[in-house]
Amino acid sequence: MELEKVLEQHFGYTSFRPGQKEVIEQIVNGKDVIALLPTGMGKSLCYQLPGYIFNKPVLIISPLLSLMQDQVDQIKQLKEKRVVALNSFLNASQKKGTIQHLHQYRFIFISPEMLLQQQVQQKLISMELSLIVVDEAHCISQWGFDFRPDYLRIGEVTAKGNRPPILALSATATNKVLGDIEFYLKMNNPYTFIHSVDRPNIHIGRKMFQNREEKLDWILEHVIETEGPGIIYTQSRSKTESISERLLQMGISTAAYHGGKDPLDRQFIQQQFIDGSLEWIVATNAFGMGVHKQNVRQIIHESIPSNVANYMQEIGRAGRDGRDALAMLLFADGDDEFAKFVGMDDFPNEVHVDLYIEYRRKDELPSTMIQNGEISETAYRVLDYWMHQFHPNEVKQQLYAMKNDKMKAVEEVLQLIQTKSCMREKLVHYFGQTLMEKPSNCCECCGLEYKDIIRKREQSDYKEPTVSWRRRLENILLGFS
Amino acid sequence: MIFEQILLQIFHNFNQERTISAPFHLLKGKRSGQTIQDVGIYHLHKFFSILPKLSRQHYNDILNSLIEQQYIKVFDEGSYLLTERAKEVAKIGEGYFFNGWYYRGNEHIFFARLSLIVQSLSHQGENQMSFSPIQKDEQIQQWVRQFLVVNNYKEGHLQQKLFEEMVSSLESSNLEERAKTIVINRLAGFQTAGLTWQQISYQEKLTEMDVQLIYISTLHSWITHILNHSEKYVLLHQLAKDIRVIIPLSGSAYQTAELFRKGYSMEEISHIRRLKISTIEDHIVEIAMNDPEFSIEQFISTEDVKKVMMAVDDYNTRKLKILHEVVPHLSYFQIRLVLARGEEVGT
Repeated sequence: MELEKVLEQHFGYTSFRPGQKEVIEQIVNGKDVIALLPTGMGKSLCYQLPGYIFNKPVLIISPLLSLMQDQVDQIKQLKEKRVVALNSFLNASQKKGTIQHLHQYRFIFISPEMLLQQQVQQKLISMELSLIVVDEAHCISQWGFDFRPDYLRIGEVTAKGNRPPILALSATATNKVLGDIEFYLKMNNPYTFIHSVDRPNIHIGRKMFQNREEKLDWILEHVIETEGPGIIYTQSRSKTESISERLLQMGISTAAYHGGKDPLDRQFIQQQFIDGSLEWIVATNAFGMGVHKQNVRQIIHESIPSNVANYMQEIGRAGRDGRDALAMLLFADGDDEFAKFVGMDDFPNEVHVDLYIEYRRKDELPSTMIQNGEISETAYRVLDYWMHQFHPNEVKQQLYAMKNDKMKAVEEVLQLIQTKSCMREKLVHYFGQTLMEKPSNCCECCGLEYKDIIRKREQSDYKEPTVSWRRRLENILLGFS
Repeated sequence: MIFEQILLQIFHNFNQERTISAPFHLLKGKRSGQTIQDVGIYHLHKFFSILPKLSRQHYNDILNSLIEQQYIKVFDEGSYLLTERAKEVAKIGEGYFFNGWYYRGNEHIFFARLSLIVQSLSHQGENQMSFSPIQKDEQIQQWVRQFLVVNNYKEGHLQQKLFEEMVSSLESSNLEERAKTIVINRLAGFQTAGLTWQQISYQEKLTEMDVQLIYISTLHSWITHILNHSEKYVLLHQLAKDIRVIIPLSGSAYQTAELFRKGYSMEEISHIRRLKISTIEDHIVEIAMNDPEFSIEQFISTEDVKKVMMAVDDYNTRKLKILHEVVPHLSYFQIRLVLARGEEVGT
């Protein structure tokens, strides 16, 4: 069978991007595959195309509800109607209907918690699948930055005797995480495709400051003098608001973006960023997934990311068009402490374990802790999972170990900040790869002239003329004639 | 500023008889007996549940600024006192139309439907039938799909029809230009993104909260206008379907209300439904509380209403037993009706 033909017929491309064909060939031959492909390199095609070769449904396990919706939308845009998302957004009757007709879909997206429900499992046993895809597979590993306890239990489903091939996808994973993926998913001697994590057109800058005020001043000056579009990543919601406010006051079209924003606002911001009417986004790590913009020229990390993998993923949103882009990592004294503190915020500790036991002893639901404001929802999920697995003392040890890992992860980012040798080399090493070639203007340590990479910002006084509400509505509904 | 005005108006209506938390619960639309009863007693139907997502933090911030500006004094146990200047500001707030009791946040469903229809039609006009829907709620998507099919969108005339209906309803619904601009700015279409709350607030030089309040107020009056002239707005009328809550009564009270509407007397209803007359009285009180248009003058004269209100004022109490001693010629039922209705009656 000619894969190129299927590619052109269903997706309108004439050639594959690096890695796609190798991965798909292995799947078609019935082999398990682990594929590490950077975001924006057409990961999803690796399971969408097989969907048209086999005449059986493809099951895609995906951790983030927002991402799932995005993927469903994208497939629908390709005029594919037989796609469905099975997640907690569905009400009881919708869910029942969907499960009943599950075998009729070509692509079934499912959240891990839904996968483990009995009615779903029963239905899955009764039908034949062509492929099981585990998206964001690094979530299965505690060494990954995004560990999701529910992911560990996917193995219960994939361990079944007569199963289709498994495709584990991720953008970033270290060797340790790769081992975990293979082990927990019970994969059978998988074919592994690893795309080089290095992105030579992203130039890695770094800057140190005495204190946070100096840092903010630098950002404001830098943004007004150099050209975007760009994203400024920071840690807290309130910081996204305050920095964007400052930039707006300077006349730079900016928006703050975080998980607490009005859902419609989030859509508008993404759309405006993509169509170019917004120059800068100031965001928490909630921004980026599912935003496909080719010409992002700058990424600035106002605060240090909680681990190297996150950092890699976030700077990877720059320069998807292949042209030069600048990633700036900023650091002021005390930032590392803050990063550790923030990292722990959504993580349970020993006190929570004791509280959990106390609630049980009083014959109350431990989840009441959330309502009483004693623990965050995310932290509770992790705690609850482990409390069902182990004895409380073991849980404490487990949490302690995980906490240590998180601290270590921040330390690793810190090394990137302190290093006097090549930053790019260090990054690539982190993922167990070797750097073959250094681009010119490689990184802050190798020597980097910002002005060679990014252009001066043209002051434009042009403002979109404001139109009356009647005209605006006319333009939208009847077109700009 | 609008938020402050509205808040002072609510405080004013509460007549210093509730704590500083009461307006918060009212705006959030708390479904507790106390809040629901207060809606009737203090005649606060319009504000019920207009800000379901209001955070306590935000509420407290505004409250503190009202204290700083000396509009309000707050005492340790949570009671408060409005200053004279506060009462003037409160009057300005009366200008904004709200009907929270009847819409209860459903105005957002109306707008979600509208925005997805507009986005779809905008793309269809450009022959771009694949796009990422701005509304992610599956139920809204299904509803809109249905709407488009039923109204034969494929013929390509729906854009013009909807445009005309929107313009004519907005123009005749007595809204300020600013209000209409805000609502239309929240729509998006082919290669046109909507504006965020922050962007609108910059444009209009208002706080985000005030922009949202104007937006909600605009939707309330727009939908009300559409429902009152449904024959004129064939399309918009469909969008407004099931948005207005039918008088929210308990099941049994609802049956009583139906019979009463048909002209049966309370005694007849008691007989038909085999319920004690006191139960029917409870129902009538509930109806009076819930439906501001339900006239209580059929049970008690305007003069007697005034007498009860005066007794409430003079003795500064709402206790039935005491009030009954002051106006012994009235029944408990009649007094309860007056209390259910609150200040507005007789004025």
